[in-house]
Amino acid sequence: MNVAWALLLKDLRAEWRSRDRLIAMIVFSFLVIVVFQFAWPPMDSGEMLRFAPGVLWVTYVFAAVIGLGRTFAMELENDAMTALALAPGTRGWIFVGKAAATWILISVVQAMTALVFTLFFRVDLWEGAAGSVLLVALANVSICSVGTLLSAMSVRSRFRDVLLPVLLIPTLIPVLAAAVSGCAATFSGEAVPFDALQLLIVIGGVYSILCFLLFEYVLDE
Amino acid sequence: MNQSSSPTDGMTRALRVLGWILLGLSSVFVWVVVNAPIDSVQGIMQKILYVHPPLAYGAYLGFVVTAIGGGLFLWHGEERHDQLAIAGAEVGTVFCSLMLITGPIWARGAWGPGNWWVWDARLTLTLLLWFVYLAYLLLRSFTEGEERTARFASIYGILGVVLIPLNYWIIDLVGGNAQHPENIQSGSLGEGMGLPFLVGNLTFFFAFVYLLVLRWRVGIVRAESERLAYENEAAG
Repeated sequence: MNVAWALLLKDLRAEWRSRDRLIAMIVFSFLVIVVFQFAWPPMDSGEMLRFAPGVLWVTYVFAAVIGLGRTFAMELENDAMTALALAPGTRGWIFVGKAAATWILISVVQAMTALVFTLFFRVDLWEGAAGSVLLVALANVSICSVGTLLSAMSVRSRFRDVLLPVLLIPTLIPVLAAAVSGCAATFSGEAVPFDALQLLIVIGGVYSILCFLLFEYVLDE
Repeated sequence: MNQSSSPTDGMTRALRVLGWILLGLSSVFVWVVVNAPIDSVQGIMQKILYVHPPLAYGAYLGFVVTAIGGGLFLWHGEERHDQLAIAGAEVGTVFCSLMLITGPIWARGAWGPGNWWVWDARLTLTLLLWFVYLAYLLLRSFTEGEERTARFASIYGILGVVLIPLNYWIIDLVGGNAQHPENIQSGSLGEGMGLPFLVGNLTFFFAFVYLLVLRWRVGIVRAESERLAYENEAAG
């Protein structure tokens, strides 16, 4: 548990000092939003509200891939991966620390992206915002758990920048489907749909437990 | 990686028995399909039904075998279990690919020109499952070091099989045409179509097992020969 806490603080401190991962994810998210503006026909804010959950979640997933790609890349410098593998205790706690730090970072990026989307596209996402935040927070648990595990694997493979999205995106489709379906309701001011909420809780639980256990086998001896 | 005693002798015997069973079943399958009644609405195209669902079962079975092989490898660290996982993934991917090819052929025949694909939830999620196993094979080829490759692939194989029940749950959430369960639940098989469907399932099951054991055996023999070549090189 101490290992998780130490890694969480270390990753957040490193990010606070350099801010490279955060800035890259934010700039990328804004760019994707701008690209979408050119990709769809002119529409009023009511129509745009229908597209908003899909557009935001596609942006969130792409930005998360960018951020997750760096999660373990920084540990390659000075062979810090070996030091992590030698850390005492269950290796799953390394996974918890890394995943928690990524969860915080991508949550910040998502909040800023949603804010920009609301301002520039005149779409009111404030109604039902509490429900949307709950859905995003739960979906992020799945994204960060499976993303951290796969990031640790892909970082030591050839073509790692290509491999991570190829491995990650198919595993996130159930999360994406549930999150988009849930946000479609909350953006319209409705309550959080129970089936989407239930699905996100179950997927988050299954992925977190599975990744915690499987992380034991990811780091080299 | 631990090297265990090679079980290829037993596999060779099993392949011989499976081969004869498969040959017999294939002949019966062709005969019953040719003689099965032609559907009054869909015509000859309906006969794809005798091939398409058995391919789907084989695809899912392949992915379960991959996860079991991967789990056993992580537990025991024996190379033969990793070879079983590879065999499951490769045979499963072939079955899944054929399923995804036969489905659109039937759809175009049944629904008319231009209907190669519909965004039915089950169809789409099966396509995604196919991508998971392509990713599995890519992971194997992009990772360096035999032991590390086996470890990473085992992890991804286990993660992939967990997606099957989650994807089925998603079908209920997102809805869609739900073409497949409707067909099965409503008992749409006409008179005289039950036997070819049953024989089709049996034939493809044995084809799956035959290919699985064959690929598993090839993997073990190849790994063994590579190990011997390495030892000879080191000695001499």
